Amino acid sequence: MKNDAKLKGKDLINIGIYAAIYCVIMTAIAMLGFIPIMMPLLCVLVPLLGGIPMMLFMTKVSKFGMVTIYSIIVGLFLWITGMGYWPFIFGIVFGFLADLIAKSGSYKSSRKTILSYAVFCLVVFGNFIPLFINAEKYFETRQSFGDEYITSLSSIMSHTWLAPVLCVATLVCGLIGGFIGRAVLKKHFEKAGIA
Amino acid sequence: MQAVLQADVGHRGVVLDPRTKIFLLFTIALFVLGGAGGDLLDRYVACFCMLPFVLFLLAKKWKRACIYLVIYLAAYGSFVYFGPRTTGIANFLLLAVCGILSRFLPSIMLGQYLIETTTVSEFHAAMNRMHVTEKISIPLSVMFRFFPTVAEEFASINAAMRMRDIRFGGKNAAKMIEYRMIPLMVCSAKIGEELNAAALTRGLAGDVRRTDICEIGFHLQDLIFFVLGLIPYVVCVVGLFQ
Repeated sequence: MKNDAKLKGKDLINIGIYAAIYCVIMTAIAMLGFIPIMMPLLCVLVPLLGGIPMMLFMTKVSKFGMVTIYSIIVGLFLWITGMGYWPFIFGIVFGFLADLIAKSGSYKSSRKTILSYAVFCLVVFGNFIPLFINAEKYFETRQSFGDEYITSLSSIMSHTWLAPVLCVATLVCGLIGGFIGRAVLKKHFEKAGIA
Repeated sequence: MQAVLQADVGHRGVVLDPRTKIFLLFTIALFVLGGAGGDLLDRYVACFCMLPFVLFLLAKKWKRACIYLVIYLAAYGSFVYFGPRTTGIANFLLLAVCGILSRFLPSIMLGQYLIETTTVSEFHAAMNRMHVTEKISIPLSVMFRFFPTVAEEFASINAAMRMRDIRFGGKNAAKMIEYRMIPLMVCSAKIGEELNAAALTRGLAGDVRRTDICEIGFHLQDLIFFVLGLIPYVVCVVGLFQ
């Protein structure tokens, strides 16, 4: 195959398909966020499960820019579904970083793609940025969820050590999710000739 | 029978420009789901949530409109009425059910309206008009086309797995995730290949700028809804200066 750097319609369609799957999975998991204790756990669950579609997507990637566009679209989806604009900004920044990492392994090295997926997972962490930067304002906008929800959530979120811990947890779970995705890829998709 | 979430071009009633719909969806996501504006718009938000109802009526989806109205009013009513009057676990449950319904239902319904009444080519034409680069607009329109497919496939896989007792509380609950994700990924990959072939014939893969016979444009009804959608922004700005 000729290795030209321009993105073709085919690549763009692949991005759309896998982004759609990722968004569906994310939405399904995010519904659990209404149980306060589960809120920080989103950072753990989404990267773990999202590894499977992402790793399959990575096998279709061969050009620079695809991972960036993918994460911008995921960020845009999060923005539209009411998570604020931070995931969108994170989508641009970390999507680009993830793209660079994957490119350094020329999109083939499994170690580099797993690492790149872990970096991409920080987009999910972007959802929680408003909680740490401007907690009062965030809870003001969530007023109608009721006081019980807010007090139990803010008692969980008020620990300042939570931000770095969550960030690291997201990265680690991204790595684990990447490994899971990779294992599933080996077990199922390579045999079936899809990956 | 018409499939779930797919655009039915034949009898659509009043047609709105896709850009108007996107603007309305964005506004409702910002003010209802995101809760921007805070106390200032608290009363107003409930009226704004009638928007999907009106839109469904205009699109001649009578049944959907009525069901939405009943569910929303029930959720919002019980939230406002019982919310301050209960405590503890009852309050929590009420909050979980009604709070989420009244907050998420409007934007989900508007999203559904957007998908059901817009064809992919209309959407693509609108994106072109807004000068969104193809690198974003093609994945978005594929996603747009693909959500219903994912939902449909997932429902069939679910049914098949239930037959094998792979479900919550079933004998093989541990395999739940793997046995649902893998088939879903496999058929999405296959559908993706088919979509790719279809896109080639539609000229999406070419280097030349793609033309469109699909006519979109702003009409009187767009103007009305645009003005309606602008109200919360205006209220917010005015509120800032007071």
